[in-house]
Amino acid sequence: MQKEFSIIGKPVALVDAAQKTTGLGKYTDDLSLPGMLVGKILHSPYPHARIRKIDLTRARAVQGVVAIVTGQDAPTSYGILPIGHDEHALVVDKVRYVGDNIACVAATTEAAAENALELIDVEYELLPAWFDPEDSMKAESNLIHENKPHNIEKEYHHVFGDPERGLAEADYVAEARYMANEVTHAAMEPHSTLASFEFDPQTGKQGRLTVWSSTQVPYYLQHKLSLVLDMPMSQIRVIKPLVGGGFGGKSEVIPLEIIAAVAARAAKTPVKITYTREEVFWAHRGRPRTIIDLKTGVKNDGRITAVRARVVQDGGGYCSYGPVTILYSGALLGALYDIPNVQYDGYRVLTNKPACGAMRGHGTVNVRFAFESQLDEICAHLKLDAAAVRRKNLLKPPCVTVNGLRVLSYGLPECIEKVANASQWPVRRGRLGRGRGIGMACSHYVSGAANSIIKSDMPHSTVNIKIDRDGGVVVYTGASEIGQGSDTMTAQIVAEVLGCSMKRVKVIAADTDLTPIDLGSYSSRVTLMSGNAAQRAAEDVRKKIEQAAAKKLNCSQEELVFRGDLIWRRGAELENTGEQLRAQGRIEGQILRESVLQERKEQDARDHLSFEEAVVAAIDFSGTLTGTGSYAPPADARGGKFKGAGVGPSPAYSYSAQVAEVSVDEETGQVTVHKIWAAHDCGRALNPVAVEGQVVGSVWMGLGQALQEEMIWKDGLLMNPGLLEYRSPSSVESPEIETFIVESVDPEGPFGAKEAGEGSLAATIPAIANAIYDAVGIRLREAPFTPERVLAALRAQKSQKKVNMTEGVDPERPVSFREHGGSLCFRGKGPTRHPLDPAVREQSKAEQPSPVGGDD
Amino acid sequence: MALSEFQLFRPKTIQSAVALLAQHKGDIQVLAGGTDLLPSMRQKLFAPKYVLDIRGVEELKRIRVLAGGGLEIGALVTLSQIEDSEFIRRNYPVLRKAAMTIASPILRNMGTIGGNICLDTRCLWYNQSYAWRTSCGFCIKKDGSLCHVAPGGSKCWAVFSGDTPPALLCLGAEIEIAGPGGTRRIALADLYTGLGDTRLKIAKDEMLTRVFIRESMSGYRGAYQKLRVRGSIDYPLAGVAVIVKSSGRHAPVQDAKVAITAVNPSPMLVVGADHALIGRAVDEHIATVVGELAARTAKPLTTSALTPEYRREMIKVFAKRAVLEAAAG
Ligand SMILES: Cc1cc2nc3c(=O)[nH]c(=O)nc-3n(C[C@H](O)[C@H](O)[C@H](O)COP(=O)(O)OP(=O)(O)OC[C@H]3O[C@@H](n4cnc5c(N)ncnc54)[C@H](O)[C@@H]3O)c2cc1C
Repeated sequence: MQKEFSIIGKPVALVDAAQKTTGLGKYTDDLSLPGMLVGKILHSPYPHARIRKIDLTRARAVQGVVAIVTGQDAPTSYGILPIGHDEHALVVDKVRYVGDNIACVAATTEAAAENALELIDVEYELLPAWFDPEDSMKAESNLIHENKPHNIEKEYHHVFGDPERGLAEADYVAEARYMANEVTHAAMEPHSTLASFEFDPQTGKQGRLTVWSSTQVPYYLQHKLSLVLDMPMSQIRVIKPLVGGGFGGKSEVIPLEIIAAVAARAAKTPVKITYTREEVFWAHRGRPRTIIDLKTGVKNDGRITAVRARVVQDGGGYCSYGPVTILYSGALLGALYDIPNVQYDGYRVLTNKPACGAMRGHGTVNVRFAFESQLDEICAHLKLDAAAVRRKNLLKPPCVTVNGLRVLSYGLPECIEKVANASQWPVRRGRLGRGRGIGMACSHYVSGAANSIIKSDMPHSTVNIKIDRDGGVVVYTGASEIGQGSDTMTAQIVAEVLGCSMKRVKVIAADTDLTPIDLGSYSSRVTLMSGNAAQRAAEDVRKKIEQAAAKKLNCSQEELVFRGDLIWRRGAELENTGEQLRAQGRIEGQILRESVLQERKEQDARDHLSFEEAVVAAIDFSGTLTGTGSYAPPADARGGKFKGAGVGPSPAYSYSAQVAEVSVDEETGQVTVHKIWAAHDCGRALNPVAVEGQVVGSVWMGLGQALQEEMIWKDGLLMNPGLLEYRSPSSVESPEIETFIVESVDPEGPFGAKEAGEGSLAATIPAIANAIYDAVGIRLREAPFTPERVLAALRAQKSQKKVNMTEGVDPERPVSFREHGGSLCFRGKGPTRHPLDPAVREQSKAEQPSPVGGDD
Repeated sequence: MALSEFQLFRPKTIQSAVALLAQHKGDIQVLAGGTDLLPSMRQKLFAPKYVLDIRGVEELKRIRVLAGGGLEIGALVTLSQIEDSEFIRRNYPVLRKAAMTIASPILRNMGTIGGNICLDTRCLWYNQSYAWRTSCGFCIKKDGSLCHVAPGGSKCWAVFSGDTPPALLCLGAEIEIAGPGGTRRIALADLYTGLGDTRLKIAKDEMLTRVFIRESMSGYRGAYQKLRVRGSIDYPLAGVAVIVKSSGRHAPVQDAKVAITAVNPSPMLVVGADHALIGRAVDEHIATVVGELAARTAKPLTTSALTPEYRREMIKVFAKRAVLEAAAG
């Protein structure tokens, strides 16, 4: 391999950038087919209820309604994990959250479909509902899923090393409860699916199914569709058009994807469903609100002796990725620092709320917030420097962590170095005056899971390449471009290996009829796994070109250089004439008339070939020119053998260190983030602008979770299911971010590359928490640090008159999650319901309830 | 969410607009910029049979300096026009400052001053889809009989969340209302009912046509402070407008007004704030006193994000700051 790269490492524009910015590109909702209907879904108004009866008579009579489907039309359960098949696209017996899916109307217009929804008569038997995860864990009856006692989806108890002894040996043990409220992906593009059946030419019956969907995982979708619709996978084609962001929210099969197909089957014509923003919030699969009870023991010099964590995640009504999330939360305590003794107790709990799932930084973010905050508290207590303590606890790779994670490359020390220098950490920490401060935190993330969800020996990624006489390189990859740059990364790697220009390379991606299986875009796996497969496929096809070219140039294959759309014998001086040669080559290569070929053959052997000439020669030589490559993580990166060991291991880990600078307005509690220095070790930056974009995006997303984003609940009712009330940061409050790319060149990654899209997020939240502490000396243990929480803590610090500004939850010592005011509105919640609640009023119409509460 | 079907009228004159209002009384809704009305219609908060798009009435699109002094602002003047008006910036700065905090530049290009004054009241239990509202059994403002925010009472507490009305209240603005019988002119303060559901004292066959600000109100220094979580596109969670007249930074205040928004079902002048300020040079102490007065006027409830207790505290802080800012000029 050449030392100097010609394509990778260069900031190239994403291959789909122009399509997206000009509006020419098509997302799923932009598509339409003749005869296509609009699908609209009826959602449950109750958090927990049995369905007694669904009467469609009135709804069917609405003009424009073609078909209405319910759970009976697709009674097979499914779920993203083989151990979690607990969902139905449309419920069959019970609803488990407000927003659960009951029926779908396919109609000629949206208005007709919506009118029909209002006329579907559903008879419910209301059940007591569970909203708080720690309450829910005590449930004896009215379970959310009958086969899950105490509403516990999964619990894991891991002990590595001897945590008991580690804590005993510690000079100081810090202990506290941390809580992180629930956040969601808020991708710009809402979920959308278009489903269409072909008619079988032999039987005239419905045959093959094509589904266009906004998904990160086309193959999982194909698989689940096959399961629920009871069709062979080969009869189902899933196509992923442009996707406007996923962040994990589209990394599993979302109800509408199956409902659209079920409705299309019933209506016998294509059906498209696009979620409203509210429905996106109900589909959710975001980051669960989490309780972390954390204990860390250290020596006086800051060396960590043991960590003990108990984590409770409020997973919502269905399994989703739950067991994976709760396992990541424990596993990723390791592989960042060298922690000799770890105890982890993780509980994934079911509640009557929308299901949580995978979200950027899957599983690690909330625990990292707790850990990095606690480390800062320890530093404050022992009067140690936070950067120095982190340096003291570094891993010494290559190594295997106490919980079995293999670490080969480790750019963390350099990341810390970079942000500490740039922020002038040693001279500015603790010295900015009251009201302003800086804080540091680190994080890491997997570059794909070493073990796939479905246990098998199949490759995780495969890439095929076809090159034809036109000199075009067509790459077929199952990897899903979701805005993160996967298509560009693929094109870059292939172009680099073949020494051809990027514009020669066409990437055909994520179409199950055309492209080989790839597990999808999640857990930051694409660059490492699909990138490796692309590299191997390109090398495979290059070998065939080499054979022909070596013959033509009368040299050995090893002597050949592929670069700049030319192939030459090493040593030949071609640099200055390259452009001219390329122009000539293009003309010659594309004219395939016999006379020209004849002419070329008669020429003397030359010292170079144009890419087209080499391709034509190779095709003449071997008949077809294709290559294939695949990737499966190596056995020694797949982790330990204990129960739950499968989650956490990765071929390689990315690293991040950040410093945040904030100021705190002590009268209002408003926190302003002025700047964030973020260093990220991505192994090798195949495309530095794309890496920077990912790091900046991660930091901003972390900023949202740190300061303002939270799903607000009242009795399982989501109070802010829209982008107006769910407040992702706008550009106004997004600070300057100075990024530093650290390249540790991992032996496992393609050209040494690791992940860049998720790892930076987790550091942002604790960096801000620690900066707030530096600024005003308050320790916020509940995220987000909204102004009322900050102000409450400040007032407590100054022993000012207590005003209950945080609905009874002390942000420095949180105990349980809060609910947003108002009356209790659900039947069956229990004896504490408000007497004027409509349900209670109905019950006791005869007795006059006395007015209670309220602010009036 | 589909818009329900309606018939659209696009009159060119006030007369024909008012005639249509009278003809379809109760079934018709005025549409100006539509930035408030259209999202609400999608949520099925309104399903009018007829929609009266008044944007064809050219005479309501002007900002006009009146011959005898003072200012006339047509109801269809956009918030961007107000932001860009040099005359308003110089003479009535508080109005411009308030207008600039609204939503985003694109929404300010569409949204009108009339729409901002007549803005529907807002509540977390109200500004939701039909499906969502079904799940809480609806509320007193729309389709239901209970207030989830103050369940003991029968009053609707939905909160008025417009940013310019407190500024206009400070400026003693008057509004012109056109109806079948001609026009009438009232103080803006008299437009609001103080109730979240009925909200405006404007008959079903009337519409707002103009806003007037007296010349004597020019030259006041002004400030508008808005509590928000997000730096742009955020309704106020509390807002305070202040105007102050004095001969200099440290000179005694000759006249002053303070008004608040987003913490009551209507924008409110803070009673007594002027008395607290007039005749004194503004300092931290006086500003704090005004803050206390403002908090006494405020009645924040769980209609909005953040907690009522916090929002009440912020009314104090923001009123204090606005007074200091206005006094500093
Ligand atoms: C995302 C978003 C954020 C927003 N943020 C803010 C904010 O921060 N601050 C703020 O103040 N507003 C905000 N708004 C609301 C709105 O954009 C502005 O208040 C705007 O000024 C409304 O004017 P409009 O012309 O668009 O009103 P419309 O939607 O046309 O009308 C609003 C209401 O007033 C009635 N109406 C309008 N004109 C008249 C008239 N001449 N006579 C009688 N009745 C009339 C309508 O029937 C309707 O009920 C926001 C809106 C959105 C969508």
